[in-house]
Parts: sequence; C-alpha cells; structure tokens
Amino acid sequence: MILSSGYNKILGLNRRNQEYVRPYNSPSAKNIADNKILTKKVLAKKSIKTPEVYKVIRNKEQLRFLDWDSLPKSFVIKPNKGTGGNGIVVFYGKRKNETTWIRPSGEYMGKRDIILHIENILEGRFSMGSKTDSAIIEERVKTDPLLKQYSYRGVPDIRVICFNNVPIMAMTRLPTKRSNGTANLHSGAICTGIDISTGITTYSMQMKPKSLLSDTYEEIETTTDLKINKKLSGIQIPYWDEILRIALVCQKASNLGYIGVDIALDRDNGPVVFELNARPGLGIQVANQTGLRWRLEKVRGLEIKSIKHGISVAKNLFGGEVEESIEAISGRKVLNINERILLYYNKQEGKKKPKREACTAFMDTGVLTSRISNTVANRIGFLSTVKFFKSLDVPEKFESLKEAQKYIDENEEKLTEDENILRIARTVEEDGVIIRPVVSVRVKISGEKKEFEMIITDNITYPVVVGRRDLKGYLIDTSKTFK
Amino acid sequence: MEYSSFTLLLLENGISKQVLELLVAITVLATIVSVSRYIFGSKTYGIYAPIILAISYSYSGLRYGLVVTAVVIVTTLISYSIIKKIRMHYITRIAINYCLLSITLVLLFLVVHRYGLGLENMSQIPSLAVISIAALSDFFIKQYVRKSLKITTLILLSTILIATIGWYVITRQYVSDFMLSNLWIVPVLILVNLLIGQFKGLRIKDFLRFKSILSDKEDDSK
Repeated sequence: MILSSGYNKILGLNRRNQEYVRPYNSPSAKNIADNKILTKKVLAKKSIKTPEVYKVIRNKEQLRFLDWDSLPKSFVIKPNKGTGGNGIVVFYGKRKNETTWIRPSGEYMGKRDIILHIENILEGRFSMGSKTDSAIIEERVKTDPLLKQYSYRGVPDIRVICFNNVPIMAMTRLPTKRSNGTANLHSGAICTGIDISTGITTYSMQMKPKSLLSDTYEEIETTTDLKINKKLSGIQIPYWDEILRIALVCQKASNLGYIGVDIALDRDNGPVVFELNARPGLGIQVANQTGLRWRLEKVRGLEIKSIKHGISVAKNLFGGEVEESIEAISGRKVLNINERILLYYNKQEGKKKPKREACTAFMDTGVLTSRISNTVANRIGFLSTVKFFKSLDVPEKFESLKEAQKYIDENEEKLTEDENILRIARTVEEDGVIIRPVVSVRVKISGEKKEFEMIITDNITYPVVVGRRDLKGYLIDTSKTFK
Repeated sequence: MEYSSFTLLLLENGISKQVLELLVAITVLATIVSVSRYIFGSKTYGIYAPIILAISYSYSGLRYGLVVTAVVIVTTLISYSIIKKIRMHYITRIAINYCLLSITLVLLFLVVHRYGLGLENMSQIPSLAVISIAALSDFFIKQYVRKSLKITTLILLSTILIATIGWYVITRQYVSDFMLSNLWIVPVLILVNLLIGQFKGLRIKDFLRFKSILSDKEDDSK
C-alpha cells in the first residue's frame, strides 16, 4: 500500500507546510487571510463581493453602546480572527417586539447571551493564538435555491484551491444534521468533489462518525437527512466560470501563492467570498478522489499570463473527473469523440517492447466495423497485405451488396489467401459497394489493450475510425467534437 | 556508574545530577513528541503538555499519575459541562473549574487514605507532580471550547500515550545512565529534529486518511 502509485500524487501535511504554505505565503499575505475585516477591504478594492458588514465591535465600550434596534432580523456574528468556523453564530429571525433572535435550530438567543458571546469573542476565546479579537456582525447569506436542496439548514460553500494563478481543485461542503447545519467537515458535513473543467460534482465523502481516527471518510451517494434525499453526483454548480475567476482574483489580491478560497452562492448576489485560507485543509483530496501534489507540481513554474489563461490551464490539465465518476457509477468508460489511441505493430506478440504508434481515432457509432487508413496500415506491418489485395483483380465497385457478397462467396479462398486477412467486408460508399480486407489490429484504448477487427480503407480524415462493434461498454463524450 | 569527563566536569561545577538528568530527559521527550507529530501524525496538546506529563509520571509513578490524570479529566469534563450553562465570562469559568478540581483532588486523597483502593502510597506523590498533571485541565478546556468532545478526547488520549512512552523511556536506568555519560547525544537529537523538520513525506496518519486514493490502480498523473 505504502509505495503504490498514489503515494506520489497525494499532498500530506508535512509537504503542504514546507513546500507550499511557507515558501509561497508570506507573513503579510497570511495576515490578510487570517483577518476577516482586512480580507473584506482587500477584496472590495477588486470588486469582489463579501457579506455586508453591519457592525464591527472592537472592545467592550463599543459593545455597551451597540444599537440593537438597528440590527436586522437575520445576521451572523463572527470572530475576526476565528479559525475552523469556531465562534460563528447565525440568526435566522427575530421575535416580535423583543431583542431576541432565532437560531437555525429554532432556539432563542437573547440580548444578554449575545453580549456574553461577543465578550468571549473579544477575549479571544475563538481566535488564533487566543489573542484579543474583534467581533463582526454581518449579513446572513441566503443560499442559492439549487444548493439549498442538498443542505440541511446551514449555508453550503465551495472551496477552490489555487496555486500559481491556476485553480487546482475544488469541492463543495454541504451542511448536514450531524454537522449541526455547519459546513465543517470534522463535524460531519458532506464534501463533494467538483470537476474543475465543468463545475459538475463527482464523488461525495463524509467523515465516519464512529471511527477512532478523527478524519477517515466514507463514500456516500445521496444526502442523508433531508425529506427527499438527493443524489450528490452530477450537480452542475451555478456560476462555475465566475467562481473560478473570483478564486483567482482573490489569490492575486491577497498575494497568497497557495490559497483556499471559500465561496458561497447567495440567492440574490451570486458568488460571495466567505473567507480566504492560507493553510487550506487536505480533505479536498478525498472529495475529489485524487491527490493535490501532482496537480501542484504540474503548474509550478508555469507562466500564467492572465486569469483566463489560468482557468484554461486548469480545465485542460485537471478536467475529466466527471468521466471517471460516470465510470465508477455506470461501470462504463468514457471516450472522447476524438480519442488518442495506441496501435501496436503487426506480429509483435511476445516481444518485450512491441513497436507502437499513437494516433487520434474517431469514435463513429454510424459504422459497425472499425476502419484503418491504408497508409497507417502499411506503416504498422500490413504493407504486404495491402499489396496483396491490390494485386488481386478485384472489381473496383459493385452495384449492390448482393452482387458483392456473390463475388466474395465465389472467390473467398483467393481473397483471404494472405495470412493477415480475417475476412472480406462490404462497404457502402457514395458510388457503389466496395469490398475490402479485414485485419486484426492490437490497440490500446483508454488504458486497455484490445484486438479490433479493422477494414483497411483508402485514406480517410482520421487514420482510425472505431465502429459500434468495438464501442460496446463505452460512453462517448461529444463535448470535444470540434477541438 | 562511570561518567565521561565532560559529565563529571558539569557535575563538579554546580549542576546537580538530578537537574542534568531532567534536562537531558527533556531533549529526549521533545524528540519523541516531534517524531510522533511529524512521522506518525498524532496530535498532542502542544509540546509542553506531554513533556510535563511524562516528567510528572516519572515522579509519581505511572499508576498514580494515570489515576490523577483520569480524575483531573473527568472532573474537568463534568464541571465544565455544568458551568458552561451558567452565563459568565470565560476566565471565571476556568477559575471555578480549578476550584472544583482542587476539591476533587483533596477528596481523592481522603478516599484513598480511607479505603486504600490499591493506591496506598498516594500521599507520597510529590505535590508538584500532582499540580503539573492538574494543569492538563487547562489544555483540555482550551481544546474543548474549539473542537468537539471526540476530537478533544482523541488528542487527550494521544497526549497521554506519548507521555507514557516518554515516561517509559526516561525512567529506564540504562537510558538515563547512557544519556548522562554520553552527552554528545544531545547534539545528535538536535540533528534528528533538524531532519524531521525537513521531512516532507506522508505521515502514518495520512496513509490512513487517504487510503482510498492511495489504493488507486490508475495513475492519472501520467
């Protein structure tokens, strides 16, 4: 297990701290992320939306003179330098004619309790290093209706990890009953991986409730505590490209080389940045079922010219989790309509390193048998077969399939004399029916070695066309048709 | 036991054997904590708590030390669960907790004196060791305020386990003798910590945490 191929893909805490957090996140940049008020100021300059601040309470004097009547029905109290969601209290409504607010659980919290909570925040009870802190009273984000369907009470968020101005990996955190409506993974929120190229959710994991280890996850397929539990994979996250853009703008604005950006989707305002994280956790790897390390190494040192460039690099390098997820669910592999395949040279069986060449094949469900152009066939060891067939005095075309079949039946022995020819195929083309030799070609497609029966044809647009017979068990992704 | 000339030089120049033993033990304990954190991935209440616990256990004896630890934690948990329902400032809560803890420890000594409970030598425990173990209460609450009970308890157990390993190592006579007569081991421990400080590999805990990704057959990085 230890030295499996996965070892080099995963980013552990030691490497995260030494290779990414320390060298790429300067103390001044970390200071921005660790201070929510400063974060809001920095992001406002770049026109990035954050929840609106109603009040900032810096000391007990300010708390004493707080105008309670000016507070809206719903709001959030947060410590300015809090970590891991500690000290955050959300209010959904207010009791009529009273200074008492209603929490998501339905509990009431009066003015005295709120004062005490704010005093605890000021004393630094929830803050990094337990230093004195400020309390922020800010707008409560109203969750976008789409994600609301998958969350238990609280506000789900989307985390995007960016490095070197490229979005590396993303996940959404969905509050559950176990997590008490918070998006905290340690409390039991669901984390769902997101395919970086499409913004579609892939795998979903939740921390095991009874595990002795604090952070081991189990895969889940649906939500667990809702009236109607819904499938978690295949959800298209709204505003996806905008979310990636915002994450990269946040990275530039904060100057954090390695950053986790937490974004919520507001019903009215769209993507809103919750906070920036200078030491984002590693659970995102479990949600995406792949490691961060190889992705980070791929983009390290790349010259990223613009935000658009960064997004396009990410989409090209790291897209495709949706395909893997479909494979996991349906048991079928996904092929691009233009798929790179490997062709093994003829008669290389038993050789340690068989000769092979790569080419782009077209997946064509309109034809039954796969085809190979004679130029490629010649190159991979069927030259003698092509020559042999040309040397035969075969009519160039037939009027009908029946006529062609009659010719094949009468001359079968002669036509298949070459050892590579398995049979003779009839193909219907523009100006009539043509007969052609069929050979067996070893290919490697989507990581699997297979034997395809291929008709050797005249030169065609693609060197290889894979037909229906060989596409059984595959799904075809047509989104890259014109690339 | 014959000591090296350097050790003898130190002992003859104002450093007592007990102090030297303790100082050397601290270097070993600190290294045990750093190995357990960066190689195994086990969290503790910082580095101070396991070191002070291990040293306290070495003075109290493991059995008595663990009993006092258990009483401290159970009392803290019960008292904090009750006090947190009363509206008051954080530090006053902690202060009340310490008051209740002192009362419980006095009661423990009285009960042991009266009924024995197999802990007849309890009164022989140095008071400083008891107080040091009681300080664990503060670490426990600080963690419990921010994290869930489960996580706080797991970190507590990990702290006690590492302190117990540390106690075992520093109370072996041959280890102590070896360390005292081979003080060059201290710079070696600095070197070990330097190496651990550079270690970028996965911690043992990371292997368990990312098991599902590690067992992947396909390497999509290629």
